[in-house]
Amino acid sequence: MKGLSTIALILISLLCALFIYVAEDIPVFGDPNSPPIKYVRLFSIDADALENQLKRSVIPNNLMDEFEKRGFPRPFRVEKVTGMEGEWNAFVSKEEIHYSREEKYYWIKKKGDKLNIYRYAFVVRWIEKGQEETGTPNMVTYGLADYRGYDTLGETAVIFTAGIAVILLLRRRGKL
Amino acid sequence: MERSIIVETVSRVMIPFIQLFSLYVIIHGASGPGGGFQGGVVFGASFILYIVVFDITSGRKKLPESVNTVLSSLGLFIYAGLGLLCIIFSSGVGQYLNYGFLPFTANFEENRALGIELVEIAIGITVMAIMVSIFFDLAWKEENRKGGEE
Repeated sequence: MKGLSTIALILISLLCALFIYVAEDIPVFGDPNSPPIKYVRLFSIDADALENQLKRSVIPNNLMDEFEKRGFPRPFRVEKVTGMEGEWNAFVSKEEIHYSREEKYYWIKKKGDKLNIYRYAFVVRWIEKGQEETGTPNMVTYGLADYRGYDTLGETAVIFTAGIAVILLLRRRGKL
Repeated sequence: MERSIIVETVSRVMIPFIQLFSLYVIIHGASGPGGGFQGGVVFGASFILYIVVFDITSGRKKLPESVNTVLSSLGLFIYAGLGLLCIIFSSGVGQYLNYGFLPFTANFEENRALGIELVEIAIGITVMAIMVSIFFDLAWKEENRKGGEE
Protein backbone atom coordinates (compact mmCIF):
# COMPACT_ATOMS: atom_id res chain seq x y z
CA MET A 1 0.00 0.00 0.00
CA LYS A 2 2.82 2.36 0.89
CA GLY A 3 4.63 1.67 -2.38
CA LEU A 4 1.43 2.35 -4.29
CA SER A 5 1.02 5.70 -2.53
CA THR A 6 4.59 6.64 -3.44
CA ILE A 7 4.02 5.79 -7.10
CA ALA A 8 0.79 7.80 -7.09
CA LEU A 9 2.54 10.77 -5.47
CA ILE A 10 5.33 10.66 -8.10
CA LEU A 11 2.81 10.48 -10.96
CA ILE A 12 0.75 13.34 -9.53
CA SER A 13 3.79 15.58 -9.11
CA LEU A 14 4.82 14.74 -12.70
CA LEU A 15 1.37 15.75 -13.94
CA CYS A 16 1.48 18.97 -11.89
CA ALA A 17 4.90 19.81 -13.34
CA LEU A 18 3.58 19.19 -16.86
CA PHE A 19 0.59 21.46 -16.25
CA ILE A 20 2.82 24.23 -14.94
CA TYR A 21 4.93 23.83 -18.09
CA VAL A 22 1.77 23.99 -20.22
CA ALA A 23 0.62 27.15 -18.49
CA GLU A 24 3.99 28.74 -19.25
CA ASP A 25 4.08 27.49 -22.83
CA ILE A 26 0.61 28.57 -24.03
CA PRO A 27 0.91 31.24 -26.75
CA VAL A 28 -0.04 34.75 -25.71
CA PHE A 29 -3.57 35.70 -26.65
CA GLY A 30 -3.53 37.28 -30.09
CA ASP A 31 0.01 36.13 -30.81
CA PRO A 32 0.40 36.40 -34.61
CA ASN A 33 3.01 33.63 -34.63
CA SER A 34 0.92 30.98 -32.89
CA PRO A 35 0.73 27.94 -35.20
CA PRO A 36 -2.81 28.19 -36.61
CA ILE A 37 -2.66 31.92 -37.34
CA LYS A 38 0.64 31.87 -39.26
CA TYR A 39 0.75 32.89 -42.88
CA VAL A 40 0.45 30.36 -45.69
CA ARG A 41 2.63 30.54 -48.82
CA LEU A 42 0.63 30.98 -52.02
CA PHE A 43 3.12 31.36 -54.91
CA SER A 44 6.29 33.16 -55.91
CA ILE A 45 6.96 35.50 -58.81
CA ASP A 46 10.01 37.10 -60.43
CA ALA A 47 10.90 40.36 -58.74
CA ASP A 48 12.68 42.27 -61.52
CA ALA A 49 10.51 45.37 -62.03
CA LEU A 50 7.88 44.70 -59.43
CA GLU A 51 10.00 45.71 -56.49
CA ASN A 52 10.34 49.31 -57.58
CA GLN A 53 6.60 49.61 -58.04
CA LEU A 54 6.00 48.11 -54.61
CA LYS A 55 8.46 50.59 -53.13
CA ARG A 56 6.29 53.39 -54.50
CA SER A 57 3.23 51.75 -52.88
CA VAL A 58 1.78 50.75 -56.25
CA ILE A 59 0.48 47.25 -56.82
CA PRO A 60 1.99 45.90 -60.08
CA ASN A 61 -0.39 44.72 -62.78
CA ASN A 62 1.46 41.41 -63.09
CA LEU A 63 0.72 40.66 -59.48
CA MET A 64 -2.94 41.62 -59.89
CA ASP A 65 -3.24 39.21 -62.81
CA GLU A 66 -1.66 36.41 -60.79
CA PHE A 67 -4.14 36.96 -57.96
CA GLU A 68 -7.01 37.04 -60.44
CA LYS A 69 -5.81 33.85 -62.15
CA ARG A 70 -5.77 31.95 -58.89
CA GLY A 71 -9.17 33.20 -57.77
CA PHE A 72 -7.98 35.37 -54.89
CA PRO A 73 -9.43 38.82 -54.13
CA ARG A 74 -7.62 41.86 -55.52
CA PRO A 75 -5.62 43.94 -53.07
CA PHE A 76 -6.25 47.69 -53.27
CA ARG A 77 -3.47 49.07 -51.13
CA VAL A 78 0.07 48.01 -50.33
CA GLU A 79 2.11 49.19 -47.39
CA LYS A 80 5.64 48.55 -46.21
CA VAL A 81 6.02 46.48 -43.06
CA THR A 82 7.42 48.85 -40.47
CA GLY A 83 11.05 48.19 -39.67
CA MET A 84 11.51 45.44 -42.28
CA GLU A 85 13.36 45.70 -45.58
CA GLY A 86 11.75 43.98 -48.57
CA GLU A 87 8.45 43.10 -46.91
CA TRP A 88 5.01 44.49 -47.71
CA ASN A 89 1.49 44.03 -46.43
CA ALA A 90 -1.32 44.14 -49.00
CA PHE A 91 -4.82 45.05 -47.91
CA VAL A 92 -8.17 43.88 -49.23
CA SER A 93 -11.42 45.72 -48.62
CA LYS A 94 -14.22 43.56 -47.34
CA GLU A 95 -17.26 43.51 -49.57
CA GLU A 96 -19.86 42.96 -46.88
CA ILE A 97 -22.33 45.81 -46.49
CA HIS A 98 -22.14 46.26 -42.76
CA TYR A 99 -18.48 45.48 -42.43
CA SER A 100 -16.43 47.30 -45.01
CA ARG A 101 -13.22 47.60 -43.00
CA GLU A 102 -10.02 46.80 -44.86
CA GLU A 103 -8.19 43.66 -43.89
CA LYS A 104 -4.53 42.72 -43.84
CA TYR A 105 -4.54 39.91 -46.35
CA TYR A 106 -1.32 39.27 -48.26
CA TRP A 107 2.27 39.38 -47.11
CA ILE A 108 4.83 39.94 -49.84
CA LYS A 109 8.44 39.12 -49.05
CA LYS A 110 11.53 39.42 -51.21
CA LYS A 111 13.77 36.38 -51.16
CA GLY A 112 16.72 36.40 -53.54
CA ASP A 113 15.35 37.65 -56.87
CA LYS A 114 11.89 36.23 -56.24
CA LEU A 115 8.88 37.72 -54.51
CA ASN A 116 7.10 35.25 -52.28
CA ILE A 117 3.41 35.88 -51.75
CA TYR A 118 1.99 34.65 -48.45
CA ARG A 119 -1.49 34.99 -47.14
CA TYR A 120 -2.43 35.89 -43.59
CA ALA A 121 -5.62 34.37 -42.35
CA PHE A 122 -6.72 32.01 -39.78
CA VAL A 123 -9.38 30.50 -42.03
CA VAL A 124 -6.95 29.59 -44.80
CA ARG A 125 -4.83 27.56 -42.53
CA TRP A 126 -7.78 25.89 -40.88
CA ILE A 127 -9.86 25.07 -43.94
CA GLU A 128 -7.47 24.88 -46.87
CA LYS A 129 -4.27 23.64 -45.24
CA GLY A 130 -5.60 21.60 -42.34
CA GLN A 131 -5.95 18.22 -44.02
CA GLU A 132 -2.58 18.61 -45.72
CA GLU A 133 -0.85 19.43 -42.45
CA THR A 134 -2.48 16.93 -40.12
CA GLY A 135 -3.53 14.07 -42.41
CA THR A 136 -7.01 14.06 -40.87
CA PRO A 137 -10.07 14.78 -43.04
CA ASN A 138 -12.36 15.99 -40.24
CA MET A 139 -12.02 19.73 -39.71
CA VAL A 140 -13.53 19.64 -36.23
CA THR A 141 -11.25 16.88 -35.01
CA TYR A 142 -7.97 18.40 -36.10
CA GLY A 143 -9.12 21.67 -34.63
CA LEU A 144 -9.99 20.01 -31.36
CA ALA A 145 -7.01 17.73 -30.91
CA ASP A 146 -4.21 19.39 -32.86
CA TYR A 147 -4.52 23.15 -33.31
CA ARG A 148 -6.36 23.57 -30.02
CA GLY A 149 -4.65 20.72 -28.20
CA TYR A 150 -3.98 22.78 -25.09
CA ASP A 151 -7.66 23.67 -24.85
CA THR A 152 -8.73 20.04 -25.03
CA LEU A 153 -6.13 19.04 -22.44
CA GLY A 154 -7.69 21.62 -20.14
CA GLU A 155 -11.19 20.33 -20.85
CA THR A 156 -10.15 16.79 -19.98
CA ALA A 157 -8.58 18.10 -16.79
CA VAL A 158 -11.87 19.84 -15.92
CA ILE A 159 -13.80 16.57 -16.30
CA PHE A 160 -11.20 14.77 -14.21
CA THR A 161 -11.44 17.44 -11.51
CA ALA A 162 -15.23 17.12 -11.46
CA GLY A 163 -14.95 13.38 -10.89
CA ILE A 164 -12.37 13.81 -8.11
CA ALA A 165 -14.58 16.44 -6.43
CA VAL A 166 -17.55 14.05 -6.42
CA ILE A 167 -15.34 11.29 -4.98
CA LEU A 168 -14.14 13.61 -2.19
CA LEU A 169 -17.62 14.90 -1.33
CA LEU A 170 -19.78 11.78 -1.60
CA ARG A 171 -17.53 8.77 -1.04
CA ARG A 172 -17.49 8.32 2.75
CA ARG A 173 -16.54 4.67 3.10
CA GLY A 174 -12.95 4.90 4.24
CA LYS A 175 -11.25 3.29 1.26
CA LEU A 176 -10.56 4.77 -2.13
CA MET B 1 -36.47 -4.09 -6.32
CA GLU B 2 -38.84 -5.65 -8.81
CA ARG B 3 -37.18 -7.12 -11.86
CA SER B 4 -38.55 -7.13 -15.38
CA ILE B 5 -37.41 -9.99 -17.57
CA ILE B 6 -37.99 -7.99 -20.75
CA VAL B 7 -35.84 -5.06 -19.64
CA GLU B 8 -33.11 -7.41 -18.43
CA THR B 9 -33.02 -9.43 -21.65
CA VAL B 10 -33.11 -6.41 -23.93
CA SER B 11 -30.31 -4.66 -22.10
CA ARG B 12 -28.26 -7.86 -21.92
CA VAL B 13 -28.48 -8.07 -25.71
CA MET B 14 -28.03 -4.36 -26.39
CA ILE B 15 -25.13 -3.46 -24.07
CA PRO B 16 -22.37 -5.07 -26.24
CA PHE B 17 -23.71 -3.25 -29.28
CA ILE B 18 -23.81 0.07 -27.41
CA GLN B 19 -20.19 -0.44 -26.39
CA LEU B 20 -19.22 -1.41 -29.94
CA PHE B 21 -20.95 1.73 -31.21
CA SER B 22 -19.05 3.87 -28.70
CA LEU B 23 -15.75 2.41 -29.91
CA TYR B 24 -16.84 3.16 -33.49
CA VAL B 25 -17.58 6.76 -32.51
CA ILE B 26 -14.15 7.17 -30.89
CA ILE B 27 -12.23 5.61 -33.79
CA HIS B 28 -14.21 7.53 -36.41
CA GLY B 29 -13.58 10.85 -34.71
CA ALA B 30 -10.83 11.50 -37.25
CA SER B 31 -12.84 10.88 -40.42
CA GLY B 32 -16.48 11.48 -39.54
CA PRO B 33 -18.61 12.92 -36.77
CA GLY B 34 -17.62 11.77 -33.33
CA GLY B 35 -14.67 11.96 -31.00
CA GLY B 36 -13.41 11.11 -27.58
CA PHE B 37 -15.93 13.03 -25.50
CA GLN B 38 -18.99 11.61 -27.26
CA GLY B 39 -17.70 8.05 -27.45
CA GLY B 40 -16.64 8.08 -23.80
CA VAL B 41 -20.06 9.27 -22.71
CA VAL B 42 -21.77 6.52 -24.74
CA PHE B 43 -19.51 3.88 -23.21
CA GLY B 44 -20.20 5.22 -19.71
CA ALA B 45 -23.93 5.24 -20.46
CA SER B 46 -23.81 1.54 -21.34
CA PHE B 47 -22.31 0.86 -17.90
CA ILE B 48 -24.97 3.00 -16.24
CA LEU B 49 -27.65 1.03 -18.09
CA TYR B 50 -26.17 -2.17 -16.68
CA ILE B 51 -26.23 -0.76 -13.13
CA VAL B 52 -29.80 0.54 -13.45
CA VAL B 53 -31.19 -2.70 -14.85
CA PHE B 54 -29.18 -5.16 -12.76
CA ASP B 55 -27.77 -4.78 -9.27
CA ILE B 56 -25.34 -2.06 -8.24
CA THR B 57 -23.06 -4.60 -6.51
CA SER B 58 -22.82 -6.78 -9.61
CA GLY B 59 -22.09 -3.62 -11.57
CA ARG B 60 -19.29 -2.86 -9.11
CA LYS B 61 -17.91 -6.34 -9.72
CA LYS B 62 -17.72 -5.68 -13.47
CA LEU B 63 -15.70 -2.49 -12.92
CA PRO B 64 -13.99 -2.54 -9.49
CA GLU B 65 -13.32 0.69 -7.66
CA SER B 66 -9.52 0.47 -8.00
CA VAL B 67 -9.73 -0.08 -11.78
CA ASN B 68 -12.17 2.81 -12.09
CA THR B 69 -9.88 5.18 -10.19
CA VAL B 70 -6.86 4.15 -12.26
CA LEU B 71 -8.75 4.51 -15.55
CA SER B 72 -10.07 7.96 -14.67
CA SER B 73 -6.55 9.35 -14.39
CA LEU B 74 -5.02 7.12 -17.08
CA GLY B 75 -6.56 9.08 -19.95
CA LEU B 76 -5.23 12.37 -18.65
CA PHE B 77 -1.79 10.81 -18.16
CA ILE B 78 -1.75 9.47 -21.73
CA TYR B 79 -2.70 12.92 -23.05
CA ALA B 80 -0.17 14.86 -20.99
CA GLY B 81 2.52 12.21 -21.48
CA LEU B 82 2.05 12.27 -25.26
CA GLY B 83 2.79 15.97 -25.16
CA LEU B 84 5.93 15.33 -23.12
CA LEU B 85 7.05 12.56 -25.52
CA CYS B 86 6.84 15.06 -28.38
CA ILE B 87 9.47 17.21 -26.64
CA ILE B 88 11.63 14.20 -25.73
CA PHE B 89 11.66 12.58 -29.19
CA SER B 90 12.36 15.84 -30.98
CA SER B 91 15.13 16.52 -28.41
CA GLY B 92 13.69 19.90 -27.52
CA VAL B 93 13.06 21.21 -31.02
CA GLY B 94 9.31 20.61 -31.20
CA GLN B 95 6.66 22.12 -29.01
CA TYR B 96 4.55 20.43 -26.40
CA LEU B 97 1.69 18.47 -28.06
CA ASN B 98 3.16 18.75 -31.57
CA TYR B 99 2.40 15.16 -32.55
CA GLY B 100 4.44 15.23 -35.73
CA PHE B 101 7.63 14.39 -33.85
CA LEU B 102 6.34 11.09 -32.44
CA PRO B 103 8.23 8.23 -34.10
CA PHE B 104 5.29 6.16 -35.40
CA THR B 105 6.04 6.45 -39.10
CA ALA B 106 8.50 8.35 -41.27
CA ASN B 107 5.84 10.80 -42.43
CA PHE B 108 5.29 13.92 -40.33
CA GLU B 109 1.60 14.29 -41.26
CA GLU B 110 0.85 10.60 -40.64
CA ASN B 111 2.33 10.98 -37.17
CA ARG B 112 0.05 13.92 -36.49
CA ALA B 113 -2.99 11.89 -37.58
CA LEU B 114 -1.97 9.00 -35.30
CA GLY B 115 -1.34 11.40 -32.43
CA ILE B 116 -4.85 12.80 -32.86
CA GLU B 117 -6.27 9.25 -32.73
CA LEU B 118 -4.35 8.45 -29.54
CA VAL B 119 -5.51 11.66 -27.90
CA GLU B 120 -9.12 10.86 -28.78
CA ILE B 121 -8.78 7.42 -27.18
CA ALA B 122 -7.25 8.98 -24.05
CA ILE B 123 -10.12 11.48 -23.77
CA GLY B 124 -12.60 8.60 -24.19
CA ILE B 125 -11.03 6.59 -21.34
CA THR B 126 -11.12 9.53 -18.91
CA VAL B 127 -14.68 10.60 -19.76
CA MET B 128 -15.97 7.02 -19.48
CA ALA B 129 -14.33 6.37 -16.12
CA ILE B 130 -15.43 9.71 -14.63
CA MET B 131 -19.05 9.22 -15.77
CA VAL B 132 -19.21 5.77 -14.19
CA SER B 133 -17.42 6.94 -11.04
CA ILE B 134 -19.83 9.85 -10.46
CA PHE B 135 -22.82 7.59 -11.04
CA PHE B 136 -21.53 4.95 -8.62
CA ASP B 137 -20.94 7.54 -5.89
CA LEU B 138 -24.44 9.01 -6.21
CA ALA B 139 -26.10 5.59 -6.31
CA TRP B 140 -24.19 4.19 -3.31
CA LYS B 141 -25.23 7.15 -1.20
CA GLU B 142 -28.90 6.51 -1.89
CA GLU B 143 -28.66 2.87 -0.94
CA ASN B 144 -26.90 3.68 2.35
CA ARG B 145 -29.59 6.18 3.31
CA LYS B 146 -32.32 3.64 2.62
CA GLY B 147 -30.52 1.14 4.84
CA GLY B 148 -30.31 3.68 7.65
CA GLU B 149 -34.01 4.53 7.63
CA GLU B 150 -35.27 0.96 7.83
